[in-house]
Amino acid sequence: MKDNLIYPDVVQWAVPFFIAAILIEFAWIALKNRGGRYETRDAITSLIMGAGNVASGILLGFIAWGFFMFLWELTPLDLGASVWVVVLCFVLDDLRYYWVHRFGHRIRWVWASHVNHHSSQHYNLTTALRQTWTGTFTFMMIVRAPLILLGFHPAMVLFAGGLNLIYQFWIHTEAIGKMPRWFEAVMNTPSHHRAHHGRNARYLDCNYAGVFIIWDKMFGTFVAEQDHDRVDYGLVHNLGTFNPIRVAFHEWVGIWQDVTQPGLTLRQRLAYAFAPPGYSHDGSRATSEMIKADFVAQHPEETGTPGLASRNLQAKGDRVYQFDAGPS
Amino acid sequence: MPLEILLVLVVGGIGGIALLLHLSGRSELLVMSREEARAAWLRHVPGDDILDVTVSHTGHAALVQTNEGPGLIWAFGADTVARHLVDFDLLDLEEGLAVVFHDYSAPRVHLQLTEAERQRWRELMRP
Ligand SMILES: [Zn+2]
Ligand SMILES: [Zn+2]
Repeated sequence: MKDNLIYPDVVQWAVPFFIAAILIEFAWIALKNRGGRYETRDAITSLIMGAGNVASGILLGFIAWGFFMFLWELTPLDLGASVWVVVLCFVLDDLRYYWVHRFGHRIRWVWASHVNHHSSQHYNLTTALRQTWTGTFTFMMIVRAPLILLGFHPAMVLFAGGLNLIYQFWIHTEAIGKMPRWFEAVMNTPSHHRAHHGRNARYLDCNYAGVFIIWDKMFGTFVAEQDHDRVDYGLVHNLGTFNPIRVAFHEWVGIWQDVTQPGLTLRQRLAYAFAPPGYSHDGSRATSEMIKADFVAQHPEETGTPGLASRNLQAKGDRVYQFDAGPS
Repeated sequence: MPLEILLVLVVGGIGGIALLLHLSGRSELLVMSREEARAAWLRHVPGDDILDVTVSHTGHAALVQTNEGPGLIWAFGADTVARHLVDFDLLDLEEGLAVVFHDYSAPRVHLQLTEAERQRWRELMRP
């Protein structure tokens, strides 16, 4: 077993490149007077979130690492470290990313961590660095367990994850319209990921891909950016604070307040923590399915267009989420 | 990467970018007309019927009367944030009002208002 396999910490080494690319994008926008927007406090908050993400990795990384090494001791399999194994690891880890990201939008416990990546109303290269501080507490490292049990060394899996994150940096831009057609078909691109950051009804819960957009096409979550429906970046309920602490923890605070309110059944308390974002026991909030249904009700001509197919909708009369409808 | 170098890069990078943005005028607060405030409210809360809009003299904030009750929309950097006016406190400030929402994600808004505006807004903000 190669217990001493070592890869560079690619995300840290990419920091100078991140800074240079941000300066280039900003200069491009300033010169061309198009291709995106920058705002001082928004950008500072995004950059501080990015720095905090790296810091939380340094402080809490040992938890996931310990878990992975435990699995590595457990498994009899060892695929080695040839180039083809690394390539396979990268592709499978991207599939892992797809599912973690999908859970990140569909399970409030995981959304509480991921929400801050979506909390800016801007979309530029600094937005890419607006990353969570609380990822460890989502326990999504579990989704990586199969990879390690299959014989991919934990260091290789983390290396693949780092490359994945670096790939996703450049797609956070409005300066690039569309890439060549073949590229748009296979890879995640600025266009696909702009749609993912949209708060428009159509774009909620779409394009979870990290590197390869094919996962969304395989699992039915792909929505192409539409020329007639410009992406409105941010959250359904946008934040009124630039304070990084509030950005990092606001949804956790929200979960706490909802779960501990008096007069709920145990099932309802669990739903506030683990049902999709927008769940409420009294129908006072809207899930993405309800928001889509409301939008289609107001714009019937959009019925069946991308992101607004009938399977994406939940009827208006059915406000109380299905989670409550089971035997109590 | 050695931690000291990473720290210098991160602090220097954030500071440099912040300075560049500020000096190139990217810190300016959004100014809204009545129509813009109305459109911005509907962007945040698409289901509402808007009955009336009152923009402050600075254009940085507007009171919106809707079928769901009064709401406040305010400039948030180059963008806006909107909240219905439920569960909040008002504090008198020298230059206007502070709205304290009991909302961890939007704790406090400072409104620059003239003395006449302050009186009128206090009236309008009653649910
Ligand atoms: Zn996301
Ligand atoms: Zn993103």
